[in-house]
Amino acid sequence: MDAVVKFTNQSQGRDRIFRATQYACALSIYLLRNNSERKDLVAKLISLEATMSAGRKLFRLGNTINSIEAAKRTMRLSDRVLGLCLTAANINRALYFICDNALWARSVGLIRDIDKERWSLNASRCYFLSLVMHLTRDVYVVLQLMAQKVRDKHFRQKMDQHVSENPEVVDVVVPQLDAFLFVLLESLKSHPAVALDTLKNICDLFIPLDRLGIYQSNAGVVGFCGLMSSLIGILTLTHPELRIKP
Amino acid sequence: MDSWVRFNAQSQAKERVIRAAQYACTLLGYTLKKGGAAAELHKTISQLEAHMSLTRKLLRLGNSVEALEAAKRAIHLSDSVLRLCLTISHLNKAMYFACDNVLWAGKTGLISKLDQQKWTQRSFRYYLFALILNLTRDVYELRLLIESEERYRASRSPPSPSTTLPADSLSSSSSSPAAPATIALPVMSAWLCRRLHLLGMVLYNNPPLLLDLLKNSCDIFIPLDRLGIYPTGSGFVGACGLASSVLSILTIINPWLKLKP
Repeated sequence: MDAVVKFTNQSQGRDRIFRATQYACALSIYLLRNNSERKDLVAKLISLEATMSAGRKLFRLGNTINSIEAAKRTMRLSDRVLGLCLTAANINRALYFICDNALWARSVGLIRDIDKERWSLNASRCYFLSLVMHLTRDVYVVLQLMAQKVRDKHFRQKMDQHVSENPEVVDVVVPQLDAFLFVLLESLKSHPAVALDTLKNICDLFIPLDRLGIYQSNAGVVGFCGLMSSLIGILTLTHPELRIKP
Repeated sequence: MDSWVRFNAQSQAKERVIRAAQYACTLLGYTLKKGGAAAELHKTISQLEAHMSLTRKLLRLGNSVEALEAAKRAIHLSDSVLRLCLTISHLNKAMYFACDNVLWAGKTGLISKLDQQKWTQRSFRYYLFALILNLTRDVYELRLLIESEERYRASRSPPSPSTTLPADSLSSSSSSPAAPATIALPVMSAWLCRRLHLLGMVLYNNPPLLLDLLKNSCDIFIPLDRLGIYPTGSGFVGACGLASSVLSILTIINPWLKLKP
């Protein structure tokens, strides 16, 4: 109980729970859409999803400043590639929040004459760019880890052992590919934070891809991916050692 | 900027800011109505207020658990009056949050056919009880502090001759009934002045108690108005709500201003 209270005290923790609920509702609505007996339930789920979405937009009102502060911090990182990727990601996220705030103001009626569709598309574009930057950082970190592993003599012995153990696999699959996959999997296994972050960003990517029309999936896939990324986000908040740094 | 990030990270802080904005909207709506502004603007403000109220209900969804945990902690306090006041206040708060959660479910359509008026009244009743207990605790702490300050003053300086004189004059002039009344009034006002001065000193030296007292006094007008016990009007309610939210935000920014336990 104490841990639950501590988790929900962080506004990010509450936001992740609401996001998970929102996407779980979206997924359930998609799965139940053809079920004529459950029309009541579907209506309730639609209402709940709309409430969560509107509420989350209000909570996010101050997050632009958070992203700008994060961008200022990442500009000072020692690793240039990492600094560039993260700063670009944070700036795009700040722009996304600005668009999101404008959309909130439009939805409550504070601002009337803005084109909702255009601002919504811009928000999705900024979010998409920030996710691409995060994924670039993930790929960079994974490549660094793989290079480090290959240089390690102890690991090379393990790899040779793996290759010699499975000669039939080596014959079927291209040996370099097999070695590459082995190094990749070993790197990801030894650094679960990077693996989780990559998985989260890949799941998140489907949402703007569908919204922008680049890769049209359906509402069920979007709901499932959103739910997965929210659950991973909750996991990284409850277990800070699983959170990628910086 | 860094302090904003830390402030924003607490969900209670966000809830307080939204509460301040909600009551500012109430106050603004009242002044607009008095000033005879356009109905369009008034509608926007009241819609914004309703949106913020519903969102705050969403944000408070887990608070019953927190209030129960706080009640569990309050049971172990050493002072019996504090223990009683705080435990029952937290339990009432937990019931208020539970009613609030039911209202949220009703307003978003999860529970159909909910008597919203009945549940609103219920939730405000629990809120009123919690505030009354908090005020009782404040008055009790104030009384303890005044007593200890009086004892401290008495031990530091011997009683002055002027204070004993009215007592002698009262006992000596028992034959003439009109005389005690004329002497008693300045005595009473001097006593009152001294008490008020003592009260002011104690409150000035204990800002957490002063803030908590002010906050609870402002807050109590909200359920009093909504339950119809002492209707004051939406302008006054808005102003009180805004003041108490601002004080609450102050205690979050400066944790030393929070009254403990």
